[in-house]
Amino acid sequence: MSEATVVNLFLMVRVLIVGAILLVIPHITRKGLLFGVYVGEDVVKGQPGRQLLRSWRHRCLLAMLLSLVIGLGISVAGAPVAGNLTGTAVLLLVALVLYLQTYSKARKLVTPTAEGQAEIAVASLEIRSTREAGFAKLACAICIGTGLGAVAYAVVAYFEMPGMVPTMADSDVLGEKSIITFIIIPLLNLAVSPFLALVAVMTAGAKTTLRGGSGGHSKEAQDAFRVAYTNLVSGAALLFCAFLTLLSVQIVRIGLSEIELIHAIVSVGVAAGVLVVASATGVIWVVKRYGQGGAFRESGSVEERLTGSLADNSHWLMGLFYYNTDDPSMMIEKRFGVGYSFNYGNRKAQLMLLTVLALWVGLSVLALVGGMT
Amino acid sequence: MIATSFIDTVYLLVYSTQMLTVTIDRSLQDSVYEQVASQIRQLVASGALVSGTTLPPVRQLATELGVNLNTVARAYRLLKAEGFLVIRERAGVSVAAPAKAIGPTERASGLHELRTALARLRQAGMKPDELRRLTQRELLAVIGTSEGATNE
Repeated sequence: MSEATVVNLFLMVRVLIVGAILLVIPHITRKGLLFGVYVGEDVVKGQPGRQLLRSWRHRCLLAMLLSLVIGLGISVAGAPVAGNLTGTAVLLLVALVLYLQTYSKARKLVTPTAEGQAEIAVASLEIRSTREAGFAKLACAICIGTGLGAVAYAVVAYFEMPGMVPTMADSDVLGEKSIITFIIIPLLNLAVSPFLALVAVMTAGAKTTLRGGSGGHSKEAQDAFRVAYTNLVSGAALLFCAFLTLLSVQIVRIGLSEIELIHAIVSVGVAAGVLVVASATGVIWVVKRYGQGGAFRESGSVEERLTGSLADNSHWLMGLFYYNTDDPSMMIEKRFGVGYSFNYGNRKAQLMLLTVLALWVGLSVLALVGGMT
Repeated sequence: MIATSFIDTVYLLVYSTQMLTVTIDRSLQDSVYEQVASQIRQLVASGALVSGTTLPPVRQLATELGVNLNTVARAYRLLKAEGFLVIRERAGVSVAAPAKAIGPTERASGLHELRTALARLRQAGMKPDELRRLTQRELLAVIGTSEGATNE
């Protein structure tokens, strides 16, 4: 099989996966929501809602076709890699434009009754169990411990290395050793993996948005989804931590001349594959079993209306970003997509995101300026 | 699969009947803290919330309702002052046990509030029969349920 065929196959698989995600998402959301807008339960079931969904399906299929034609066309013209990248970029760009157009149409379907639901909020008087966050907290502790261990291992091993070590590009070529090369991935691990686990802890405490008058059904469905999703994110954090730890250990072992570059690439590649497959399987399982926010388990209460933040159109930017400075919650269910989103108006959430962003940028700059070899 | 669905259904039925909720409506004239306090007060009086029941911490309830922490804290403080709740630093907020006997001051104050409320409703145009039915219904909601709960 030629290189161009493999690259084209990758493009086709990617287009199929992204297209499938785009087609599925509007059908897994809580009833009453349409493309990130709370339009009301009646509208979604009615003719305008169905028509909007049908139009979305057709246009997504066209976008998939367009991206394949452009990507494969460029590939046939002699630039398979450029074709692959262009095809993917076209699909993502067109999908974004389609979403914004559909979102704008959905905004026009909002009824006064739906608008009034934002004024209502329902909360359970039950105390939330702290056990929900148990696995996430354990994952957080493991990620911090493993991250620190990987940093310590890299530092200790660095001083045992000779002055000239094999480079990461070619293990037969020697280059002057640099602490940045060996410390950057462990530091990234220490910053990102605990953050992911922390997101899982926060997800366990994310707010529930009950339906008025049928709180029990609605709450049970959301609780089940939240527990499953929290465990999924905790597991993903652990896998990500394991992957980055393996990567940092293998880099150090190349530096110590204990393994060849190809062995490191194979082991890290396998680990990356496991991480991606396990995470994707987990997301598919959670979505299939519960629906977004437990939507599939709300049967029996879907006639009741959504309340609170999910029904509040005024605090959602493009139906994707929740910004409410008056709401003390840090995490809230996504309106369009799977899982939970930050309340970007919450000071603590802002601080947390800025810290992680600063760490990410700082480490990237360090890797570039420090001369990672 | 069928067994799981059956268990889920039974669980949902039991769960949904047991769960107590607080609902706020920002479009109403009553302030949010008053709405929260009023509903908890009603739940305690009707026996749905029995003495000793622990209520959610301020942060949890405020987060779920999407309101400021001070709003819920204010409602809890008001209910504490009225004798409906007990607030302890470590144990959190719980429903207070009803007093064994009413004092003369509380009796006089309560009677005054009751008379004022009834007079306001009458003045607002409520007919005597309607007023009687409303009073009986509210009385039954408080005494009937709490007696039932006690008997159980």
